[in-house]
Amino acid sequence: MSTPTLLERYRAMLEMRSFEEACQQGVPTREVHGELHSAIGQEAIAAGMLGSLREDDAVVSTHRNHLHALAKGVDPRAMMAEIFEKSTGLCGGFGGHMHLFDKRLRFSTTGIVGASLPVALGHAYAAVLGGTGAVAVGVTGDGGANIGSFHECLNIAGAWKLPLVVLIENNEWAISVPFSESTATPTLAERAPAYGAWGKRVDGLDVEAVTEAFAEAVAHARAGHGPAILEATCYRFRGHYEGDLDLYRKADEKAQRLAERDPLALTRQTLLDRGVAGEAELDAMAAAASARTAELLESVRRDPSPAPATAHDHVFVSGR
Amino acid sequence: MTVETSAAVRNINVSQAIAESLRLEMARDEKVVVLGEDVGLQGGVFGSTRGLQREFGAMRVRDTPIAEMAFTGMAVGLAIEGYRPVVEIMFVDFIGVCLEQVFNAIGKIPYMSGGRVEMPVVIKTAGGCIGSAAQHSQCLWGTFAHLPGLKVVAPSSPHDSKGLMAAAVESDDPVVFIEHKGLLLQKAATFEHGADVPKERYVVPLGQANVVHAGSDVTLVTLSASVSDALAVAQELDGTGPSVEVIDLRTVVPLDLDTICASVARTGRLLVVDEDYVGFGLSGEVISGVVERLGPQALRAVKRIGVADTPIPAAKSLEEAVLPGRDAIRRAIDEVTR
Ligand SMILES: Cc1ncc(C[n+]2csc(CCOP(=O)(O)OP(=O)(O)O)c2C)c(N)n1
Repeated sequence: MSTPTLLERYRAMLEMRSFEEACQQGVPTREVHGELHSAIGQEAIAAGMLGSLREDDAVVSTHRNHLHALAKGVDPRAMMAEIFEKSTGLCGGFGGHMHLFDKRLRFSTTGIVGASLPVALGHAYAAVLGGTGAVAVGVTGDGGANIGSFHECLNIAGAWKLPLVVLIENNEWAISVPFSESTATPTLAERAPAYGAWGKRVDGLDVEAVTEAFAEAVAHARAGHGPAILEATCYRFRGHYEGDLDLYRKADEKAQRLAERDPLALTRQTLLDRGVAGEAELDAMAAAASARTAELLESVRRDPSPAPATAHDHVFVSGR
Repeated sequence: MTVETSAAVRNINVSQAIAESLRLEMARDEKVVVLGEDVGLQGGVFGSTRGLQREFGAMRVRDTPIAEMAFTGMAVGLAIEGYRPVVEIMFVDFIGVCLEQVFNAIGKIPYMSGGRVEMPVVIKTAGGCIGSAAQHSQCLWGTFAHLPGLKVVAPSSPHDSKGLMAAAVESDDPVVFIEHKGLLLQKAATFEHGADVPKERYVVPLGQANVVHAGSDVTLVTLSASVSDALAVAQELDGTGPSVEVIDLRTVVPLDLDTICASVARTGRLLVVDEDYVGFGLSGEVISGVVERLGPQALRAVKRIGVADTPIPAAKSLEEAVLPGRDAIRRAIDEVTR
């Protein structure tokens, strides 16, 4: 497990953003004909996961899942093809953007809020059953942290000392409901003592802070000390889904956050301030990421849609 | 625990048959794990996991907190990791708190993953009426059968309970296994059919109905605890009344329409007896399946009896009024053969 440098994390963040931007292009054209949830603005959290996880660790994500998949190492081409509803997709076009499954990498997602945690708990139990030393990361939003499974899973993980890391992306909003109006405590990390868990709240726009805190959370779980809750604060720069009118937030609030607290801009500034790289090098890096993603998008767009005659396949793996 | 005898075939009850089946499956495949409330130390509130924890340890036979969402969802992660979890939902009525995990995750992940992720999960649960009123008496097999991706099993005897559980555990598809509480509590010696249980492992395949009583005038399709009622009435009528062919479905999904249609093609009369709710359920599915296959002209008479879309009441007088018991079966046979 090598720990990527800040510059490498920045490159990953650039790739993540350009991936999300490429996916957005499929919405107006109806190539992505359902809801698409973009994680633009939340790149520092996924990039902070890099380097802490083993291949046999599990990650179970949510409806806003693309960046966690990329962080886990899921093939970006197969992912984009799935998001674009192609037969070449990760799930042959049967899952779509909210339902990504990569069995080998123990990566899966769910479109049901809060349903990621029980699945992650199962992976954590499997790790203990098999004595593998693996951990399981269950991702949720701040909204998802209010569903009952959060309590059930953390209680079990605490009672049985299971290696479960609950990663909460607190982007302040659950569709139109602000965090402050939905949640009894000022933070989510402070729930940790109720479950005998490790808990920390971290600035999720600061990729170095996330990196350190995520590594700590994973180490805690891997050492057999039980669950960890890592709450990473961030902000959703796009609507809940592409096409969301987003009338519940002031437009200037969004604009101001983007101008002042874009994790990509913040990381770039840190790199410049520390003299790690110059403007030109970072510009070239961004251009290269965009070009690579544009190429990927172009190639995926040429792939075929699944054949209608296959629509009833896979209901039962044993056949029908 | 199983009564040890030297005979290869014994009379054991349904809960013993299921525990024995699980023991054999767990011994043959170390990936089989059992999770649920009171399944370990106590061996299940109906005894159908008795002895397993002692034999296989507390990790593989795990008493969980009362947290159905969490431990049912765990089956998904375990299945992705290559395990074959058997999850016990104590009473099927409790599925309301974890239906999400069953129908959105376990039932759909094989499909949503384009066949790349299997869910060899057994949801083992107890249904049926034993006088515990609206929230502890439902069958709900029709509910599960309505949702794509789930196989649904409801055995009627100790023999089938053992063999169908083996089929459920070895199935790569998810199976909802609904044990009838009345059968779980019934004494071994009182079973009129399927009472002999071979000692060794055997499999009753999913999707093969069983003709438990041959007849030529009426095809009576039923399952689970209603099989013994149907059988009793059919035997009563033997020689004196109409000749009733009793088909025990054994599994709701897959539904063995071949066996049903072969019988109806001979009798021309179809009666479905179902302890589940009537509306939008198994009985309508059986009838429409037969009509689609054989055409309406193949049926001289058709009828269904079940719980007529009413919750199960508490008082015995009311409960008897809603359940399709022996009197209701007699009347229904009368009606279709009149
Ligand atoms: C159980 C459930 N309830 C409601 C929804 C509809 N829904 C989808 S996303 C969402 C908001 C989730 O908010 P949060 O967990 O904070 O994640 P975010 O969208 O902010 O990333 C809701 C209510 C759902 N998918 N599942």
